[in-house]
Amino acid sequence: MSNVLRPYLAAVRSTLTAALTLENFASQVVERHNKPEVESASSKEVLLNPLTISRNENERVLIEPSGNSIRLSIRIKQADEIERILCNKFTRFMMQRADSFIVLRRKPVPGYDISFLITNTHTETMLKHKIVDFIIQFMEEVDKEISEMKLSLNARARIVAESYLTAFNA
Amino acid sequence: MPEIYALAQTPITSHAFSADRSQLAASLNSNDAQIFTRQGAEWISTVTLSEHDKLITSIDWAPNSNRIVTCSQDRNAYVWQEQPDPETGRLIWKPTLVLLRINRAATYVKWSPKEDKFAVASGARAIAICSFDPENNWWVSKLLKKPIRSTVLSVDWHPNNVLLAAGSADMKARVFSAYIKEVDDRRVSFIRYCWLLNSRKVNRPAPTVWGSKLPFNTICGEYASPAGGWVHAIGFSPSGDVLAFASHDSSINIVYPNGPVIYNIRMPTLPLVSLTWTSEDTIIAAGHDCRPLVFSGTANGWQEAGTLDDATAPKSPESRSGFGSSSSVGRLKAGAFATFRDADTRGQSSIAGSASPTADTKVLTIHQNTITNVRPYAYSGTNVTKVSTSGVDGMLVIWDVDAVTALTGRLGGAHLR
Amino acid sequence: MDQAFRKIDIDIYDEDVLQESELYEADPRDPVEVLEDAKQRQAAVRSFLAKNDIPGALTIILDNAPYGPNVDDAKIITLQTLLTILNTTKSTEITGVIKGLSLDTQDTLMKYLYKGMAMPGWGDISGSVRLGWHEKLTEVAGVGCIVRTMTDRRTV
Repeated sequence: MSNVLRPYLAAVRSTLTAALTLENFASQVVERHNKPEVESASSKEVLLNPLTISRNENERVLIEPSGNSIRLSIRIKQADEIERILCNKFTRFMMQRADSFIVLRRKPVPGYDISFLITNTHTETMLKHKIVDFIIQFMEEVDKEISEMKLSLNARARIVAESYLTAFNA
Repeated sequence: MPEIYALAQTPITSHAFSADRSQLAASLNSNDAQIFTRQGAEWISTVTLSEHDKLITSIDWAPNSNRIVTCSQDRNAYVWQEQPDPETGRLIWKPTLVLLRINRAATYVKWSPKEDKFAVASGARAIAICSFDPENNWWVSKLLKKPIRSTVLSVDWHPNNVLLAAGSADMKARVFSAYIKEVDDRRVSFIRYCWLLNSRKVNRPAPTVWGSKLPFNTICGEYASPAGGWVHAIGFSPSGDVLAFASHDSSINIVYPNGPVIYNIRMPTLPLVSLTWTSEDTIIAAGHDCRPLVFSGTANGWQEAGTLDDATAPKSPESRSGFGSSSSVGRLKAGAFATFRDADTRGQSSIAGSASPTADTKVLTIHQNTITNVRPYAYSGTNVTKVSTSGVDGMLVIWDVDAVTALTGRLGGAHLR
Repeated sequence: MDQAFRKIDIDIYDEDVLQESELYEADPRDPVEVLEDAKQRQAAVRSFLAKNDIPGALTIILDNAPYGPNVDDAKIITLQTLLTILNTTKSTEITGVIKGLSLDTQDTLMKYLYKGMAMPGWGDISGSVRLGWHEKLTEVAGVGCIVRTMTDRRTV
């Protein structure tokens, strides 16, 4: 983990640990239902204050906790147009396969690139600190992934351009 | 050394022991309650109580009358009693209907000390106080409603069988009167009642520190949690003169109604969800931090005394049966195979960044996930000497109350690098 | 055909439902008074900073901090003042300063750190300074402090 990123991820880790204190909570509004309260937002008292952790304007994480579920949204760093396209493609690819990722949400919260929805069922069936590790690891990897894709895209563009231009050289 | 039993791989939503501690009723995160019988060092599931059709949220076992009450998110509660089967003559558990009249999930149930009433907390912003109606052979209820504004998360009875404390998601802990005339002074005719009333011999609730005139639904006290967390757990002290409640703002509050003094202990750890008094000056509480904490104090002040789970001490892996049995793989265990198998079954990874690939899947505490229940297990006189805990990790642990170690690490169950 | 009625949220008409304003006890002070108070504190903090008394300055600004609706101006002034204090503190002194604060003050400081992080690019403070304070405060006050920031409706 790079030293610049460390305090940011440490803050996300501690906030997420504090937020993942979930319990089975049946809906107060609809009988015999059990909904993620952060999504239905029907009873104010079981929603907690949403917290934001930010490194700068372009990199931030929003954690919205509630009694039985939390929503975590990540805004990924996008420096230029290529990164924006890559990030969009990458998160879209993931979210279309959200079922396989279990904690992933199919749509991001407005203003963010990707969102996770973690409910009490997840903290019951999985190790809590491993969910936290997963999110942190995802955040570490996604930056790396996108800059690697950008490099290979640029390299590819250069090769294409070179081979195109050699035709005029001859 | 605490006794550790792995009952299941699924969460234990609630557990309750029979009076002689040879049997245990538990709900394994399902619609059924199971009765486990102790056989040597193990608990074997012997009876399944199935009547509910949604998750069972709470179970309580009355020690003297040997009745079990279960409540569930399907808005119902049942009282189970051991009766001979008319055909075979064997003893079987028979359910009795409870007319709860609530329209949301039931969240918590507790027998009164005399076992002639029980209280069911619910998401319908109400508490149902149930008593038996012999004419119809069912349990009828009276609802405590005002001024509850949200789901009631826990209740506890005062030793006088009349007062009831309730903690709810509207961030308040309240003390109510659950006095039901038909139950609390049955067995006397009206004229005799008047005579007894004059001579002060009648079974009227004696004045307590919480008040003296107590018709049904009198509010004897209302206390808000200081930083606005849902009140997860509540309990009267053995004498009934002190009230403790734990809330989601990671704090525990001890209320002396006469002062009125409220001691608030803020913790650096995750919130507590269950508590029990072990004596007039000690409380054991546990929750998301995966280990039971001990609080002690008097009317002059309270503090955290330590924990029952010495998370720094090494634990023998044998003591945790049911987890990590991996001997069947044989020769293939080595190398890449083991790496992938561990990553798949136990979430162990050797990816750079996690310092020790084998140690990081286990939390240092005995319970591997949130503890949802703390109950007294063994008594000596009025003091509790042992408590039992169960949690989301499917484990049941019986702890010695005296084995308190000082808190060393800041966090038990949470990993912070 | 008009179908707007299908979108009406009928649950808000339930008289038992808890309202936002009932979740906490409102600040008894008048908004104007609070604003005046915040300005006075800002001045007080400057004199503390001149004496290099960081814990004193933090206690002044965080004690009885404005909360609730209608006092946004006072909150902004308080945040601004607080960020100045955070910026002037040497990173080696942070832990010592935090340890000297009362539990209440620590909780309020955590609230302001999150408020500051929710407004990135606002004020002349870099993200790493805020994150550094957050990390050290978590070390001292534990995750319980973060939990209280989430639960406490008296938002700053």
